[in-house]
Amino acid sequence: MRERRVNWVCTLTAVLVMLFLLAPLLVIILASFTPTPLVTFPPQGFSLKWYANVFSASNNFISGLGNSLKIGILATALDVILGVLAALSVCRYNFWGKNILLNYFTSPMYVPSVAFAFVLLQVYSQIGGIPGPVRIFIGHFIIILPYIVRNTVSVLHVFNWTLEDAASSLGANPAKVFFQITIPIAKPGILAGALLAFLYSFDEVALSSLLSTPKFITLPIRIMNYMELTFDPTLAAISTLLILGSLVLIVLMEKFIGLDMFVK
Amino acid sequence: MKAKKQAFLLALPAGLGLLVFFIVPMTYILIRTLAEDGFADFSGFFTDPFYLNILWTTVRVSLVSTAVSLLLGYPTAYFIARTHSRLKSVMMIVILFPFLVSAVVRSYGWIVILGTNGLLNQFLLGLGILSEPLKIVNTETAVVIGMIHLLIPYMILSLVGVLQSIDPNVEYAAYSLGAGPVRTFCKVIFPLSTPGIISGCVLVFTMSMTSYVTPKLLGGSKFRMMATMVVQEINVNFDWGAASAISYILLATILAVQVAVVLTTSGYMKRMGGGKNA
Repeated sequence: MRERRVNWVCTLTAVLVMLFLLAPLLVIILASFTPTPLVTFPPQGFSLKWYANVFSASNNFISGLGNSLKIGILATALDVILGVLAALSVCRYNFWGKNILLNYFTSPMYVPSVAFAFVLLQVYSQIGGIPGPVRIFIGHFIIILPYIVRNTVSVLHVFNWTLEDAASSLGANPAKVFFQITIPIAKPGILAGALLAFLYSFDEVALSSLLSTPKFITLPIRIMNYMELTFDPTLAAISTLLILGSLVLIVLMEKFIGLDMFVK
Repeated sequence: MKAKKQAFLLALPAGLGLLVFFIVPMTYILIRTLAEDGFADFSGFFTDPFYLNILWTTVRVSLVSTAVSLLLGYPTAYFIARTHSRLKSVMMIVILFPFLVSAVVRSYGWIVILGTNGLLNQFLLGLGILSEPLKIVNTETAVVIGMIHLLIPYMILSLVGVLQSIDPNVEYAAYSLGAGPVRTFCKVIFPLSTPGIISGCVLVFTMSMTSYVTPKLLGGSKFRMMATMVVQEINVNFDWGAASAISYILLATILAVQVAVVLTTSGYMKRMGGGKNA
């Protein structure tokens, strides 16, 4: 009875799509352990030398990782504050132009990041003297704001605001209401938004490649530059480490917010 | 009155940040481009077959990627929405997982598989099916494959949400009234899921139109889409006027697509109870 609902066409397609989605990732993981510079299948042995390459300072992968983490964490932290306040303003109050304001907060989503990157590049070149980290930070902080606003709004949208009134009528001051009622209820949305925003920043290429300076390069740009010069399994090794990182994240996500948060 | 003031204060930090670092620069550079060269850069784009061809390539790749994502994503999403097995959360993880992995890494994976010395060619040459390696990387085919891989999770997630909200009893009702599976799909499930189809397609299409990494890594230097052309104009040709024109034309194109979709479907979406995130 249960299986009658899902016929074999759907099942077959679903299985093929899963394989298609996983194939390149599995190939990368296998490739990272091959001893030969050319990836072959089946692999001719086992080696960890490409991992050693990742950690050798001359390749700058680790410093790139540090830069990416710094930008991603700072931009996400700032945007969580701005984005949650912005989401509250459009959800808690009724006023004319509410939807226009929400669209304004999410507007960077509609702009191709390459276009925005180029605009910033032109502005920076007119002002001059802006250090590398700041150049990239400004771009990332704008482009990821919509993810936090949207995900927070999607939770606050169904929030029962009388809970706040109940808390204050029971004697809680506004700060207490905010931190003990509003924030805990909005938390799944804020966390999901923060996670998507951080990942967007961490993986972002178009902005970072136009705005980075030779001294300050983020990890994806470093990987792309490496790929242009040498195409060896060092790339597979660093990719495998990133895949592992994502795996840890998704397990944590399932545990703490549940994956249904991402079904739109 | 007090409420209005509070709303204003809450909106102020983000509003101001966007104004200073986003709206003002975007507008300023547009005005400056127009003030310097008038519409020369823009008319240059629309009269040069080289640029028009890039726009057409971008639209074509995006349309094909959207169509294939929908065709493969729909049955997958339906399976996920309706299955009761424990597989469901495994499948959600499999869908979300590549979604969290950087586009650079995913393109690299496809190069390892599809490259001239890649695994696919090794396999086919080894079996003696081919005598010469297939050239897939640095062609449009590779870009489309990479694009579908990148974007199909977005399509599936948009569809799963809508399909889950369709009561299975509606399907049983159709069956019990004598409709076969095909008829039930065409007359019941498909119409009810259109909000998800529309939002999924718009999302995938616009993301594909503006994507940079996939065409750059899988298409090579001779394959050009709008986003990669912007960077090429800046870094290789040093033609900032052209880069500006391409940027704003790309922006205008995706805004036009979104406005057109909203205008043509808003009545329909309302009747279907969709657009809850709009």
